[in-house]
Amino acid sequence: MIKKNFEGVSVRWVIALKGEAEEIIKNYSMKRVATTPFPVYKNKDLDMWLILSGIGQLNAVAATSYLYVKSDASYNTIWINFGIVGSRNFKVGELIQIDKITSSDFQDNYYPSPSAFKNNNIQRCNLITVNKPEKLFENNGVYDMEGYGFFSFAKKIAPYELVSVLKIISDIPGTDLSKIDKNRVEILVSKNIQFIEKVLENLLDLQKILFLQLRDPKYFDEICLQKKFTFSQKVTLRKYLTQWQARFPQRNPLEEIGQRMTASQILKKFSDNLLR
Amino acid sequence: MVDTIYAEDEIIGTKKAQEIISKFRHAKVTSIKRFGEVFNPSNQNFRIQKTNPALILAKKQKGFVLDAPKGFGIGDQNNYYFSHMYNCLYDCSYCFLQGMYNSANYLVFVNFHDYQNEIEKIIKKHKEKKMTFFTGYDCDSLAMEPITNFINDFVPFFSRYKKALFEIRTKSINNSVFRKHDPLANCIIAYSLMPETLAQILDKKAPSVSARIKNMKYLANKGWRIGLRFDPLIYCENWKAQYAELFAKIFEEIKEENIHSVSLGSLRFPKSFFNKLLQYYPNSEELSFLRSNDKGIISYDQSIENEMNEYCRLELMKYSDARKFFSCG
Repeated sequence: MIKKNFEGVSVRWVIALKGEAEEIIKNYSMKRVATTPFPVYKNKDLDMWLILSGIGQLNAVAATSYLYVKSDASYNTIWINFGIVGSRNFKVGELIQIDKITSSDFQDNYYPSPSAFKNNNIQRCNLITVNKPEKLFENNGVYDMEGYGFFSFAKKIAPYELVSVLKIISDIPGTDLSKIDKNRVEILVSKNIQFIEKVLENLLDLQKILFLQLRDPKYFDEICLQKKFTFSQKVTLRKYLTQWQARFPQRNPLEEIGQRMTASQILKKFSDNLLR
Repeated sequence: MVDTIYAEDEIIGTKKAQEIISKFRHAKVTSIKRFGEVFNPSNQNFRIQKTNPALILAKKQKGFVLDAPKGFGIGDQNNYYFSHMYNCLYDCSYCFLQGMYNSANYLVFVNFHDYQNEIEKIIKKHKEKKMTFFTGYDCDSLAMEPITNFINDFVPFFSRYKKALFEIRTKSINNSVFRKHDPLANCIIAYSLMPETLAQILDKKAPSVSARIKNMKYLANKGWRIGLRFDPLIYCENWKAQYAELFAKIFEEIKEENIHSVSLGSLRFPKSFFNKLLQYYPNSEELSFLRSNDKGIISYDQSIENEMNEYCRLELMKYSDARKFFSCG
């Protein structure tokens, strides 16, 4: 479970299949809240959602954008694509954090941020997203069918540093794919759940840094409710209140505002006070 | 220190890139096509990246040497600056780099020879003129010397061009590279300084001011020429006493004759840079004194700026020849 439940926690999981998601759903006590067009799950206390995208890049992009809208995800949201992959470089059951994402269809490559890897000792590797199940694993790296599509969209709606791709090795050259059933996948995931939690905890630390950056200064909402500020006046007000808080932590800016003052008079008053 | 290295395909096999990579035995090396893939794409966040910056090795393609801004200089007619690296080991709260970039990764251009060729061309083109080449504005070259060997490469290079001054701006107390070379008359080791109590709050991860002074003294005694850079001047309560104490301490330790130049600069940012800084440091009292002027530049009120410049100049004149004083633009 999440140990660091601070204001601003916001997490979204994008996972292709139910078998891959089952342990995550259980671990974070999520319940189904929608069935179509994609099954969606949610924790009742936390702003944590999970979507089952189905297989393939198109599904991954569609599901990510659907969940973005459906869950009203803020900019400061953690997005994680999780699932099983094949590789010739690792053993079955190993958890991998992706540090480079390439696609057989597109030229651009993506690089999830090293901030997300800090201190977790989880192995890192490049991901190759393909359109058909891979059996030969000719190149070094791990192979999936969703990661590239997911990342290409998620990086547009959230900071790079909060978008992560996590994979567990399920097949290696020679694996009989018909034997990778739901039950086996759930076992692979459950064995790694503590490490998955660790990755999430680290991402939550990063999210907190951003939350504190994006938060409105104290008294901003109250003052905006009292008087009508234009958009650009709100920008200035936000700046002045931030500076006010740093300079006069003991002085309540609300007490500086006279009843009949207009928005521009309020800004002038703050500016004059801050000048020296 | 660094657990991730990105290296452009074009330079990953070069001697310099391999030399740098070999210093990080535990880092994961990932190949990239161009540094723009990992440095500064939109939606990156400087403060988050600063928690674990990666090292990026790349090739600078053009724009090796640039003209310094008008009015910037330490006495010579022509002034240039060049940057073999973007971003810094230190984490100073007022640093413009965090306003300029979304990325805190260290970007090192490893093709030093191309810089040297360009500098050589400029020196030959303006044979009769005195000129200064500044470095250490987009990074702290000396702090990263154990990794890049930049100064070790450029001190011998500038020893061939006595008319060209080479300024290394720094806060680092690393002096091993200067012990390897004979002092160079046309090389200025220029220290960024501010009162100790302010530096403790603002110059995060940088050596203390007293350690910087101690190192300046060491280098001066070895024969290296020292620059004093009070840029930016920081306004705070009791600033007069703090700056007076700082100047006294410096000149108590270092002989005036070892000082090549002294420069003073005001704290200024473009609006967009400042907005980011305020977001990053909402509790910074030092940033709370800054205002937007009519040109859209964020600075202290003109009266504060003038008072600080005036006072500091007069104080410094107690210890040093005013002809050595310059303004940082």
